[in-house]
Amino acid sequence: MAHDQSSLLLRKQLRDLNKNPVEGFSAGLIDDDDIFKWEVVIIGPGDTIFEGGVFKAHLTFPKEYPHRPPKMKFVTEMWHPNIGPDGSVCISILHEPGDDKYGYEQASERWLPVHTVETILLSVISMLADPNDESPANVDAAKMWREQPDDFKKKVGRLVRKSQDEL
Amino acid sequence: MGNCLKSPNTDDISLLRGSDAGPEVSSEQSANMGPPPPYQESIPIYHPSPNVSRPANQLTEEEQIKIAQRLGLINHLPTGVFDGTSKKAKECCICMEEFLLGDMLRFLPCMHTYHKDCIDDWLMRSFICPSCLEPVDAALLTTYETS
Repeated sequence: MAHDQSSLLLRKQLRDLNKNPVEGFSAGLIDDDDIFKWEVVIIGPGDTIFEGGVFKAHLTFPKEYPHRPPKMKFVTEMWHPNIGPDGSVCISILHEPGDDKYGYEQASERWLPVHTVETILLSVISMLADPNDESPANVDAAKMWREQPDDFKKKVGRLVRKSQDEL
Repeated sequence: MGNCLKSPNTDDISLLRGSDAGPEVSSEQSANMGPPPPYQESIPIYHPSPNVSRPANQLTEEEQIKIAQRLGLINHLPTGVFDGTSKKAKECCICMEEFLLGDMLRFLPCMHTYHKDCIDDWLMRSFICPSCLEPVDAALLTTYETS
């Protein structure tokens, strides 16, 4: 897909999200002149330990979007098995498409060109509520989540309060 | 995979010849490195597996076979021109644009329809239907068996 087509598609999504906001997050551009770099704010999902948090993240789209996935990185400090210590989100739908010969991940679990900012963020919100500790991006967070759930909860609670203070 | 050789796409012909001709091809290519005609991309980039993107002349033999097979299979999938008569297919869910009269379409065996350019680029990366996740090769084989 040509560059102008990927920017058209992203512009369309930005327009739609501005017109019909989706509950749970808000989205905009970091710099109005660069449609490939988005800033999103995710509201910690209710009835989870992330409730009340206001988490900022950046999405960086490649020129080949929607044939290739964006990269997503939390700017707000996070503590979660599937978020790396540098804030990068590690979920299978953001992994490069295709079938790898080791069969580590099915092609159907990886990136699909039908994903939008909305479907990505809804997946990330559900990941916050429901960590997957099979292939953690933050091993220490995964270990704590599994073995010391109370400590995990306390640590996340502190970060939730910190995220509110940073507003 | 004789069909790949007869494919109308000149890219894969040069790709397949490259494996026979060896180093001569690359010297020939560098000799032709002047400004390419506007309609022709210099050397196509292929994506043999996740996180791997390589120009056609740097593919391993295994990757060349995989890509030649893929090109051949894609060429077997029916195409058509949008004439507005289909009630089901209205929009390409890859580029999210409505089909316009005269748009080239590609029909997958699972009955999902996309712009030809949109889906062909995708199928070279991953051989599944983006809408229903059905593996296209499996569906192609089933079509052959029943017809």
